[in-house]
Amino acid sequence: MSQAPPATRPPVRRRGLTSTDVLTAILLLVLLGQSWLSGLFDSPAMQTWATIFVALCVQAMPFLVMGVTISAAITAFVPPSFFQRALPKRPAAAVPVAGLAGALLPGCECGSVPVAGGLIRQGVAPAAALAFLLSAPAINPIVLVATAVAFPDNPEVVLARFLASLLVALVMGWLWVRFGRGEWMRPPLRPSMEGINRWENFRISARHDFVHAGGFLVVGGITAATLNVAVPRSVLDGIASSPALSILALAALAVVLAICSEADAFVAASLSQFSLTSRLAFMVVGPTVDVKLVALQAGTFGRRFAVRFAPTTFVVAVGASVLVGWWLL
Amino acid sequence: MNRDTQSIVLVLLGGALLRISVGETYLRYVKESLQPFLIASGVLLVALGVISLVRDNRRRSAVSSHSGGHDHAHGPKVAWLLLLPVLAIFLVAPPALGSYAAARADAEIAEPESLPAFPPLPLPAAGVDWAPLSLTNYYVRAVWDDGASLIGRPIRLVGFVTERPGGGFYLTRLRIACCAADSQPVKVVIRTDDVVPAVDTWLEVTGTYAPAVANTAEGYDEPVLTAVTMDVIPAPENPYEN
Repeated sequence: MSQAPPATRPPVRRRGLTSTDVLTAILLLVLLGQSWLSGLFDSPAMQTWATIFVALCVQAMPFLVMGVTISAAITAFVPPSFFQRALPKRPAAAVPVAGLAGALLPGCECGSVPVAGGLIRQGVAPAAALAFLLSAPAINPIVLVATAVAFPDNPEVVLARFLASLLVALVMGWLWVRFGRGEWMRPPLRPSMEGINRWENFRISARHDFVHAGGFLVVGGITAATLNVAVPRSVLDGIASSPALSILALAALAVVLAICSEADAFVAASLSQFSLTSRLAFMVVGPTVDVKLVALQAGTFGRRFAVRFAPTTFVVAVGASVLVGWWLL
Repeated sequence: MNRDTQSIVLVLLGGALLRISVGETYLRYVKESLQPFLIASGVLLVALGVISLVRDNRRRSAVSSHSGGHDHAHGPKVAWLLLLPVLAIFLVAPPALGSYAAARADAEIAEPESLPAFPPLPLPAAGVDWAPLSLTNYYVRAVWDDGASLIGRPIRLVGFVTERPGGGFYLTRLRIACCAADSQPVKVVIRTDDVVPAVDTWLEVTGTYAPAVANTAEGYDEPVLTAVTMDVIPAPENPYEN
């Protein structure tokens, strides 16, 4: 085939449609169709949905921003050698250390997912990072103090919550050591960082982690708001009378409502028609498995990971709540 | 989504957070205590987006002489969804939850495991004789203390109107623990001979304690206030009770 000589080519590069063009088009269309769009939200059901959706996103944003900042700081400023020194070499021994270290991260579950991704990126064993991911939102001081305030007459609930949540984190970490396969977990993506300084690294990691996790947070917010409006709370109240069913019902409610772990104790305290053990299950399941969190996990570690990890965590969390509840409550 | 678009979305989202948190709008969605963290998050996101736009363009123009200046870094498609909360906040501006949400859950408040020693009713302001109470406070005093601390003084309650089968109406507030997703209603039966105002109207009701009655559907005790005066008011800045 003969090619045209380069000199006859037009000098201008062909430029495809970029996402910035798409964004501009979306914003223009939305502005033009504003009255039609807000008309969609005239009915009380749609308004309630929109309010709950915005509330879930707004509530989670500060925690996500904090988690992403910590994760980017780990990536940019903490060398992998630090974690090799701080954690035992054997993953099975690193799990309890990482699980207890979860007590140091104040915040709720939206922040702990990017932090766990950052830890894996710096070479921490996945089992240890997962133990941290599960324990951090459940056993940090803010959550335990909130629990103590919500249950002034039952201080043993605080101890039960701490023990059951830590148990879930350790069991899941050890299960991952024994049965987990590397190929289930998508290695956390990272933008290329060659030849740039630490602050540039920090900035690029933070933006990268935020748009990833934030998009999935919105997926979780949509799901939780839809379930919240579509499933009447009174359906669940009818189940309160059966002890076994009530544990499963409150565990399921925790998954569906996706309440931030710093507030779930107050909601649990208000569900006083249920037994203490079933309310413990609500507080142990909520920070480890809920629709918002599963979406975040799928975004950070891949879908193949989330479909295995979330159901297993649910079973382990219910089991740990029953065991600790039977012992302490 | 390329890097510039990601940066613009960060600026938009940070701007949306600032738009609701500088002012009172955020109170429709979350509790007052979150405000400083919302403002900080908004500032951080806007700063990250603006700095990224500037630096990426500087880097691109520095390398454009040999790479053609075309940025092939693509972010995830799911990041487009971050536009949804932005559009919802700027275009729809969802209102605070009202009667629709309040009708979706029972308004029963369980008996506290130990009754607090109810402090005497708050002192009225100069020139009035009524005591202002939250609906939750009135509920607990009326139902679980048989109104012992309520007798002899007019009470002022604030809430919105919801329907009640069997006469009168409910004065209702939603209580939130964290954000609007965990709202629980609290309702007080208002006895009145006046015309019942439209659902979702905000009212200041002054009246006197009456013994609790059974809920028509579920049978639990509901607090009752016999209205003396009812005034329509604009919705308060913080529509929820804690």
